[in-house]
Amino acid sequence: MSDPYEQQDDHRSRQFPVREDMAFQHKVWRFERVGWYVLVLLVVLALLGLFSRGPLSNRELHSDDGSLGVEYQAFHRNGSSNALVIRLKGQPNAVLEVELGGDWLEGFEVQALQPAPMRSAGAGQGMTLWVQADERGQASLHLSLLGDGFGTYHCRIATPRGASVSFNQFIFP
Amino acid sequence: MDSVLRAAVMYAALMVLFKIAGRRSLAELTTFDFVLLMIIGEATQQALLGDDFSMTNALMVIVTLIAIDVGFSLLKLRSQWVSRLIDGGPTIIVEDGRILRGRMRHARLVEADIMEAARSSQGIETLEQIKFAIIERNGKISVIAKEPS
Repeated sequence: MSDPYEQQDDHRSRQFPVREDMAFQHKVWRFERVGWYVLVLLVVLALLGLFSRGPLSNRELHSDDGSLGVEYQAFHRNGSSNALVIRLKGQPNAVLEVELGGDWLEGFEVQALQPAPMRSAGAGQGMTLWVQADERGQASLHLSLLGDGFGTYHCRIATPRGASVSFNQFIFP
Repeated sequence: MDSVLRAAVMYAALMVLFKIAGRRSLAELTTFDFVLLMIIGEATQQALLGDDFSMTNALMVIVTLIAIDVGFSLLKLRSQWVSRLIDGGPTIIVEDGRILRGRMRHARLVEADIMEAARSSQGIETLEQIKFAIIERNGKISVIAKEPS
């Protein structure tokens, strides 16, 4: 099969009955081979979550004092919705204030916000929400975000007591 | 603006993907290939139209696709290089009853594929009766029989 004569014969371009260009044809075959590896790589990356929802994309952040935590997707796709979970810790039964800032509202549409905050207000580019904590002083906010932009968007979540986390989210077209 | 961009990007992406798949991939349409083609069409449709189902959007996408297609065929007329890049060239895989193994392997074909083409197009029974078998640009195998001596 790897007989050198045969290999050389394979590379020789015939002129009859069709005009061949074997040098070009070998390039085409190499392109197909390399392309196949690229496809496999893309499938693996997609499984790992490079295009949202997977180990590469699921992220979790906590503020230094532990009173603020957030779960988010580092990668989004335009037109698909993903969750953003904010966990707050404070005094039992207190009303906790949290500010969501950054330019992320330009790239995302908030489709749902659960539980409904007691009060909300605009704050610069973002918004401020007040939520009721339970008897252990915990409160969580679940946001469903629909990506409708393209590129990187910055989000900064902060509480008045100084805890803050900030992160970037990328939206694929 | 984005409907033109969508169509152009999808056209380019599909072109590259089908180049990777090779010329044989959809030449002989089996039942499964047909289903696969429909699924690809379905997935593409979403990306082409997005969430805009207006007539204008649909027409702009179609106009863009046809414009690119006609543009390429005009370019192919003018340039040999472009023509070869897009359409590829024919490759001989059987010469005087002898299979060119290396080429056949690169083209992801087996002997049965060649014999199938030989039987269906020429009624040929054995490899020795084949003068030339050629993978054409569209991926079909054409067979030229030896003249009976």
